[in-house]
Amino acid sequence: MLIKRNEGRIARQRLAETYEGFASGALDRRGFFRQAGLGGAGLAALGVFGAGRAQASGAAMAVRNPEKPMRIVKNICTHCSVGCTVTAEVQDGVWVGQEPSWDSPINRGTHCAKGAAVRELVHGDRRLKYPLKLVDGQWQRIGWDQALDEISRKLLDLRQQAGPDSVFWLGSAKFTNEAAYLYRKFAAFWGTNSVDHQARICHSTTVAGVANTWGYGAQTNSYNDIRNARTMIIMGGNPAEAHPVSLQHVLAGKELNRAKLIVIDPRFTRTAAHATEYVRLRPGTDIPVIWGMLWHIFQNGWEDKAFIRQRVYGMDEIRKEVAKWTPEEVERVSGVPGEQLKRVAQAFATEKPATLIWCMGATQKTVGTANVRAYSILLLATGNVGAEGTGANIFRGHTNVQGATDLGLDVTTLPGYYGLDENAWRHWARCWGVEYEYLLSRFASKALMEMPGIPTTRWFDATMMPGEKDKTAADGEAYVQQPSSFKAMMVFGHGGNTVTRMPESLKAMEKLELLVVADPHPTNYSQLSNRRNGTYLLPVCTSFEMDGSRTASNRSLQWGSKVVEPIFESRNDYDVIHALAQRLGFGERMFAGIQAPGGKVVAESVLQEMNRSLWSIGYTGQSPERLKLHMANQAAFDLTTLRGKPGTPVAGEVYGLPWPCWGTPEIKHPGTHILYNTNLHVKEGGGTFRARFGVEREGQTLLAEGSYSKGSDIQDGYPEFTVAVLKRLGWFDDLTAGEKASLERHFGANIDRAAWSTDLSGGIIRVALDHGCSPFGNAKARAVAWNLPDPVPVHREPIYTARPDLIAKYPTLPDRRGFRMPHLGQSVQNRSAEVSKNFPIILTSGRLVEYEGGGEETRSNKWLAELQQDMFVEINPADASTRGIRDGAWVWVTGPENASKARVKALVTERVAKGVAFMPFHFGGWLMGEDRRQFYPAGTDPIVLGESVNTLTTYGYDPVTFMQETKVTLCQIRSA
Amino acid sequence: MIRILALLLALCAAGPALAQTAAPPPFTDRGQLSASELEFRAALKGERISGRVSIPDQQAANLIQPEGLDWRGFHNRTLAWIAGIAVLGMGGLLALFFLVRGRIRIAGGWSGHTLQRFSLLERANHWMVATSFLILGLTGLNLTFGRHLLLPVIGPVAFTALTQAGKYAHNFLAFPFTLGIVVMLLLWARDNVPEKADLAWLKQAGGLMGHGHPGAGRFNAGQKTVFWLTVFGGGIVAASGYVLIFPFSVTDIGGQQLAYIVHGVLAALMFAAMLAHIYIGSVGMEGAFDAMGTGQVDYNWAKEHHDRWVEAQVTKARQTVTPRDAKAAGAD
Amino acid sequence: MARMKFLCDSDRCIECNACVTACKNEHEVPWGINRRRVVTLNDGKPGERSISMACMHCTDAPCAAVCPVNCFYTTADAVVLHDKDLCIGCGYCFYACPFGAPQYPKLGNFGSRGKMDKCTYCAGGPQADDTAVEYIQYGANRLAEGKLPICAEMCSTKALLAGDGQIIAAIYKERVTRRGYGSGAWGWRTAYQEDMPA
Repeated sequence: MLIKRNEGRIARQRLAETYEGFASGALDRRGFFRQAGLGGAGLAALGVFGAGRAQASGAAMAVRNPEKPMRIVKNICTHCSVGCTVTAEVQDGVWVGQEPSWDSPINRGTHCAKGAAVRELVHGDRRLKYPLKLVDGQWQRIGWDQALDEISRKLLDLRQQAGPDSVFWLGSAKFTNEAAYLYRKFAAFWGTNSVDHQARICHSTTVAGVANTWGYGAQTNSYNDIRNARTMIIMGGNPAEAHPVSLQHVLAGKELNRAKLIVIDPRFTRTAAHATEYVRLRPGTDIPVIWGMLWHIFQNGWEDKAFIRQRVYGMDEIRKEVAKWTPEEVERVSGVPGEQLKRVAQAFATEKPATLIWCMGATQKTVGTANVRAYSILLLATGNVGAEGTGANIFRGHTNVQGATDLGLDVTTLPGYYGLDENAWRHWARCWGVEYEYLLSRFASKALMEMPGIPTTRWFDATMMPGEKDKTAADGEAYVQQPSSFKAMMVFGHGGNTVTRMPESLKAMEKLELLVVADPHPTNYSQLSNRRNGTYLLPVCTSFEMDGSRTASNRSLQWGSKVVEPIFESRNDYDVIHALAQRLGFGERMFAGIQAPGGKVVAESVLQEMNRSLWSIGYTGQSPERLKLHMANQAAFDLTTLRGKPGTPVAGEVYGLPWPCWGTPEIKHPGTHILYNTNLHVKEGGGTFRARFGVEREGQTLLAEGSYSKGSDIQDGYPEFTVAVLKRLGWFDDLTAGEKASLERHFGANIDRAAWSTDLSGGIIRVALDHGCSPFGNAKARAVAWNLPDPVPVHREPIYTARPDLIAKYPTLPDRRGFRMPHLGQSVQNRSAEVSKNFPIILTSGRLVEYEGGGEETRSNKWLAELQQDMFVEINPADASTRGIRDGAWVWVTGPENASKARVKALVTERVAKGVAFMPFHFGGWLMGEDRRQFYPAGTDPIVLGESVNTLTTYGYDPVTFMQETKVTLCQIRSA
Repeated sequence: MIRILALLLALCAAGPALAQTAAPPPFTDRGQLSASELEFRAALKGERISGRVSIPDQQAANLIQPEGLDWRGFHNRTLAWIAGIAVLGMGGLLALFFLVRGRIRIAGGWSGHTLQRFSLLERANHWMVATSFLILGLTGLNLTFGRHLLLPVIGPVAFTALTQAGKYAHNFLAFPFTLGIVVMLLLWARDNVPEKADLAWLKQAGGLMGHGHPGAGRFNAGQKTVFWLTVFGGGIVAASGYVLIFPFSVTDIGGQQLAYIVHGVLAALMFAAMLAHIYIGSVGMEGAFDAMGTGQVDYNWAKEHHDRWVEAQVTKARQTVTPRDAKAAGAD
Repeated sequence: MARMKFLCDSDRCIECNACVTACKNEHEVPWGINRRRVVTLNDGKPGERSISMACMHCTDAPCAAVCPVNCFYTTADAVVLHDKDLCIGCGYCFYACPFGAPQYPKLGNFGSRGKMDKCTYCAGGPQADDTAVEYIQYGANRLAEGKLPICAEMCSTKALLAGDGQIIAAIYKERVTRRGYGSGAWGWRTAYQEDMPA
């Protein structure tokens, strides 16, 4: 109720008359601004009441019309993996407002800067409006049909000349699950395993490290569950900027439980500012710190001995390695004082439940997998897995990187982590209703069909190096183990500035015969290199303009409904994939089980095909109907347990049915909130560690001893369930006739080998659940992963280290091959002694809250771009003063490879230690001092441009996943 | 075994009841002053609480500037009093003077002869400055008092239109005003240099006290005061005014507030002084206006008020009229 | 009648800037106008505190007191608003405001700053509630719909509280008691002449 001034009435009348001129467009824009008193360049031209659609002629300002009805649509924010619900207000097909999503148990109405600004993404000032083709350095507008025809023709040409492996299919962590699944399936039908996405550069080492320890590569608990923790360590993560809404739960938990929040990070981040303890370490020394903590834990007997005895294999080997990491050695290598680490270790081990949270700081190293394994081992040693308030709370990056990883957008596997061996292919052939031989025929050879493809971190090396057909003796090891190098790259939703060694990627970009970017924005690919021809930009819409499910970091699936139709001429991923598949000749077979009337793919039907196939990770119970029911009843879920309250349509179910959601949708498994939780019956979401690595090793059992989930018929460890196991247990006849028939049909004589993950009827899983058993077995977690290059994690100095004196004792791995290519290690590391003299500052990179990923989309969003207008480098005051650098001044940052340099602003701050510098990785559009704005198609250049940190970053890859080393390299900074 | 473990875990999650080392407060609130305390201290010391922002507008980095409240007090109370007293007071004094003393007549009456006092350039420049000053002054006073005196009379819409126009006039006329006083300085500085004779003039208050007229040159001490007040005061008012119309270009908010204070106080005092100048040059003294009006002043008036100047002018005139080698009449 | 206030809990504020972009989104605030901003004290050091700041809708608002054209008014909910049709863009309100709330579309030269714009507590302006005219000039009017300011509703960690002063003070006090610490209510002493115990 407002008190109005009488005088205001006169003003009202005057203005109201003026605005009546609106509908007819009588008032010109300038005059309007003067009246409105808002002025400025920011306001777009005004539309009439209710606003017009975002037409190619220019978008209208969304003016809500209170007289017209408002439609409310729920979708999921497309930025990070927290999975905040976005509530959109739509009028006349235009997205006019955002309201807080109070009902969502995950974000409860809140957002971060990006989530609160997503409406602008679909308003799309600077989005790609129509397909573009690069002709002699100029962007030409073409139609979709022409674009797809030309692209397909070229692809088929290349396929014939150089084989299917000559095309690199780069997918996206921002795909919906359905799009990710289709893209992976597409690559399989095309005949290559070189299909990848951002997880490679994000949590690939997490997935490998964690899965190799206890079974699944995913967050074990959830953001909400952190409210239960009494001790939280955030090591190698800055959620205050990368996952702000997660801090709602972290800080609430800290306050409710008077919990200790310990941040271990080279920078005093915004997260550290809210901590109760801050530990500063030298970048790249995570393993010494973890082993240092375990040293105190073992020394004082703080470990959880019962847990280790029952559920962990190989801890003694760890004890041997840990014994080397005395407090003195830890401090010598990492800089962390012994007393502080002891305090942290004691809290983590004794003030339970304790949880360990990590993000890129752990993963983006040449020892990323080993880091993650060490983190997992710390959790195992202290018994902090599988209960409320504990766990590996892995904060994943992009909105659906979890889903895209689960759906196999990964060079090493088919969807569902089945792998690439013949069994995996046969399973998927069954699921897809095609013959195994057909799929085999799509590949250049069986060997290549079962060989992991080339990851995104090395795509340009695979373009520059010759294939086996073209290599000569002079090339030595520098060749790609496939017929030909990459000739074409298809980029669906990935930035060009997020991979290291950018100057080298430019050469590859120029060499490609075909470059296709399918994205709402043109991306760096459109302007980075001096390509003149053979580039296509296809406008694909955001996930707000399509239906689809997405999997948040905590494994919950959420269904996002289409807010508005795709704007301008953009199309959604499904339809583009469908259209391409048709033209490439396998559309019929690929979409046999999926509804796509008139080329418009029905997202629900894709999810249903997934439900029929992804038994291995339990993506089978999350039917479209169940997911939509959850979205409609969000308010019914408890804040901390995520369980649906009694008396509601979702009673007893966990929000989003986090996988594994066992069995068919009919058996209504509630989903698994906390992984490996033996306190619950498996039908309530309880579980055990996976029996993935065999039953026995070197005379010791790998199965759990005396530990089992609540209500389990088998009160001890057991292997994963196959028909043979069922028979041995006498449970085979628990299977229904239909289930048995399905098994017989698919496996025939080999029926005994049919496993829980390959049984398309879901019967084996159902029977196991009925007996209170985990379908994947009940084993010990592995502290020793014998299949990895370092079975016990050991410290290895970063490739470019500021401490070359430590290389002798802690060298990186010797040069080798991996992922079809050479993988250098020691030969590059040995340069450090020389390099560190001229490049003495350790360079690390990371996130800002205002931007996401490569930044093209968020830097095109005027509300976000205003908040961070300059690329910068954080430099310590001591380093700044010796170089005569003042806060806000321009500086050149140079790197040890490629004569790289970048011109950025200096932010002098104590946030970074002396000898350490930080740069955000979201900027692009400047290259070594050159502003490349003019090379973007007109009207699509992001508002803010800047140098990319990856111009400066360097060689270095994790041996298990080829993760890049973006968190620690060397640089020099000088005044510009 | 599992049950015991589960029980232990449950106990651990039960809360701070168990003997655990309590978590210290986070860094944000560890041994630091509270918000209230910081604001209090900042207000006392006249300091700002500021930090870092990521947007380019550096004014946004000031979280709290308590000086704004002091500035409000100055604007609403102090300046209002100063300006009110100065202007109304001066007006009152002048009215009183007029009532008591009446118009100052030319003692010897009009002679009927005139001599030139000010050239066209001097007069044009003076009127440019004067007109600008009047409008500057009135529009400036409007910004302080208009809301209370004029707004209730003409209503908000008209008042806004008037004040908006006034604001533009005020800002644009600053330039001719500044130019004008620079020209004045160049034209008249020499004749306004203070002399010993000025003291005598002042002792007699220009003739108000004592008997007869004190002597004076081209400009008497009173006029010299007005001149230097105009040049220096006007200069400072102009300079502070430029700071105000190009905000934050050379200084921060503290500097802007200071510029406003200087501008306001000096302008108010100048306005008051100019009222006296206008009075004496028009109503207050017979024959005075012609100086700036036509440029030609009556001979008797000039002899009474600026005798030394008249002498110098006559001497110069004689020298011009009489050739150097001329002899007195009838000498040969 | 409610007395509306803002309270930013700097022990929770992580400078995520949601409050800033939510405001921009809701009201289509142009580039260069910062109705709300987050200021970080002691940036990069232990003791770093971030505070979200916009118009505090003061008791006895200094902006209203110094305005030469008296274009401000206070609603029954104690929200301080102004009439852009009367504003002459002189800039006095910015000098007086302890919180730097007034924003101008243009800067400098000859006093042409344009019409002052500031946080409206999502309560629109003098135009009729929920009309296009009100939206274009002042932004959305959430209070008229019974909602609270969008900045506080979307704050990622629920650091920024908005609503009746007594209610949010009670919420804050309860929080402080439960967790054992609290930096206090930034700006309350200056805006409301109240001492908010930590």
